[in-house]
Amino acid sequence: MKSKKASSFHEFARNTSDAWDIGDDEDEDFSSSSSSLQTLNSKVAKATAAQVLENHSKLRAKPERAQSTLSDMPTNCKVIKSSSEAQLSRTSEEACVRTPLQKQQSLPLRPVIPLVARISDQNASGAPPMTVREKTRLEKFRQLLSSHNTDLDELRKCSWPGVPREVRPVTWRLLSGYLPANMERRKLTLQRKREEYFGFIQQYYDSRNEEHHQDTYRQIHIDIPRTNPLIPLFQQPLVQEIFERILFIWAIRHPASGYVQGINDLVTPFFVVFLSEYEDVENFDVTNLSQDVLRSIEADSFWCMSKLLDGIQDNYTFAQPGIQKKVKALEELVSRIDEQVHNHFRKYEVEYLQFAFRWMNNLLMRELPLRCTIRLWDTYQSEPEGFSHFHLYVCAAFLIKWRKEILDEEDFQGLLMLLQNLPTIHWGNEEIGLLLAEAYRLKYMFADAPNHYRR
Amino acid sequence: MQKHNQKEHLYKLLVIGDLGVGKTSIIKRYVHQNFSPHYRATIGVDFALKVLSWDAETVVRLQLWDIAGQERFGNMTRVYYREAMGAFIVFDVTRPATFEAVTKWKEDLDSKLVLPNGKPVPTVLLANKCDQGIDVLMNNGIKMDQFCKENGFVGWFETSAKENININEASRCLVKHIIASESDPVQSIEPDIIKPHLNSSKIVSCSACFKS
Repeated sequence: MKSKKASSFHEFARNTSDAWDIGDDEDEDFSSSSSSLQTLNSKVAKATAAQVLENHSKLRAKPERAQSTLSDMPTNCKVIKSSSEAQLSRTSEEACVRTPLQKQQSLPLRPVIPLVARISDQNASGAPPMTVREKTRLEKFRQLLSSHNTDLDELRKCSWPGVPREVRPVTWRLLSGYLPANMERRKLTLQRKREEYFGFIQQYYDSRNEEHHQDTYRQIHIDIPRTNPLIPLFQQPLVQEIFERILFIWAIRHPASGYVQGINDLVTPFFVVFLSEYEDVENFDVTNLSQDVLRSIEADSFWCMSKLLDGIQDNYTFAQPGIQKKVKALEELVSRIDEQVHNHFRKYEVEYLQFAFRWMNNLLMRELPLRCTIRLWDTYQSEPEGFSHFHLYVCAAFLIKWRKEILDEEDFQGLLMLLQNLPTIHWGNEEIGLLLAEAYRLKYMFADAPNHYRR
Repeated sequence: MQKHNQKEHLYKLLVIGDLGVGKTSIIKRYVHQNFSPHYRATIGVDFALKVLSWDAETVVRLQLWDIAGQERFGNMTRVYYREAMGAFIVFDVTRPATFEAVTKWKEDLDSKLVLPNGKPVPTVLLANKCDQGIDVLMNNGIKMDQFCKENGFVGWFETSAKENININEASRCLVKHIIASESDPVQSIEPDIIKPHLNSSKIVSCSACFKS
């Protein structure tokens, strides 16, 4: 199983470097030292991640020489150099010292992406025309999706580095397990599930004003107008009603958690993606859509959100044990990968729970623009236990991404203010791609052999 | 900038109450002097800092912990309450249920947090959204005074984050009580751990905080 994952990461690396367009292929010769502790997979994965990062950094700017900072490197970044891997591993140190990731912040060429515009995807219309590679990728998706039995493993592999927006709605339905892989069963399944959802509405929705449910409904009713308050789409009454129904039905069907603040955010990506099948989402008036289309979008959003929540239910049950556990795991992980940041937090008495609770509870949605969340979820839905497990590594990579800014802050308030307002407003697919590559590297370094890295 | 003989206090203040009562709005108004109807629901806890020139010799830094309204059910409040020196409990005058929740918040607070001298932390009650004109509870100030005495609040204010009403005043009242409780070490010797009415005398001595 491990080797399979690793090979899919190679695939990912290939695709990703494709998408990022490899620039000049100059030779950079870094010496690698050896260590015998690592599994083959983490070596391969790490090296591949390094390759991705390197390709990217070459494209953008010359990375700073890694040698000067090697002393800061965690010892576990070292890679065995064998002839077969020489090509891949030669710059792994470079990735380990994180220079490529950090160089992202002051790139001059970045297109300015407005806060609200292009909420669904920065590559929507108005973006430059598709490259040949993008067309090839899209073609591959179309092939997979139109085959009699969609190969879900293959679909996951293709989706890991991002799903083209044209095929995202159907791909998401498949990846979430909502739509069957078998083509013939799809239409009927959709019809049945949509009817089932509206059956729930008919059966339960009137009970929202009854005593045992009115608290739940009131909380949802208060939170809906302030879900995505800056995006006009979500201020439309029809959209708000859809969200209320979805959340209310989910809440009363899951009494162990009920409605927990933050779940409201989790409907948004599904809704936007399924809506994008019919319209360009920006500032779009949903009353222009037929009743049938709106009902389909609502039911599909409900079911896909339910599938997502099934995997992270202990995040939202009493005392939110899933979140407590993950915040602890994040702390442990950061203490190993970046002791300096970890000690900095300790010095100023910053607790991980104070900022990372939200990262777990809202799956980083509060920290990233919506378009980035959608891109992130392409990967989460392709990765085994993406939302429940891989997310932890994404959070760690996300935190370390800001290490310089963190180490510059020298008091509790400054740190918390920074951590709660991280400047990601301009982020797009590129930053998310890098974040995911780094997260993948971390996952392989630490998840498979935790004892090797215990301090 | 700072005068040499200036004292500086840092106080951690909690802002708690049911969801949607305006806790975040009050803090944004207080710290950034603005208001927006578009704040997203707080998840976990948000932080803000307010610096007050208390008097010629004293600077007070208030570390405001804006705690999510649903937290009382999440069992996480204990972590957030730790080492707080004072609290605001907020309710929405247009929604009676949020006033009913006030005593629950106060109980949650007092059961999880006491000052080093064993007393409950000074707490001010805020009746927010008073600009909305729906005075379901406020028509009787004496009743509210009574409520505060019975429930151990050091004062109460009708506030509006939208119209900037009484927020500075409420904060000064709370800070005054915190400073007073700090210079009150005698209390710690008294074996008064379970005497809920003990601080009623203190409330009377602070009539300035109450509406006339």
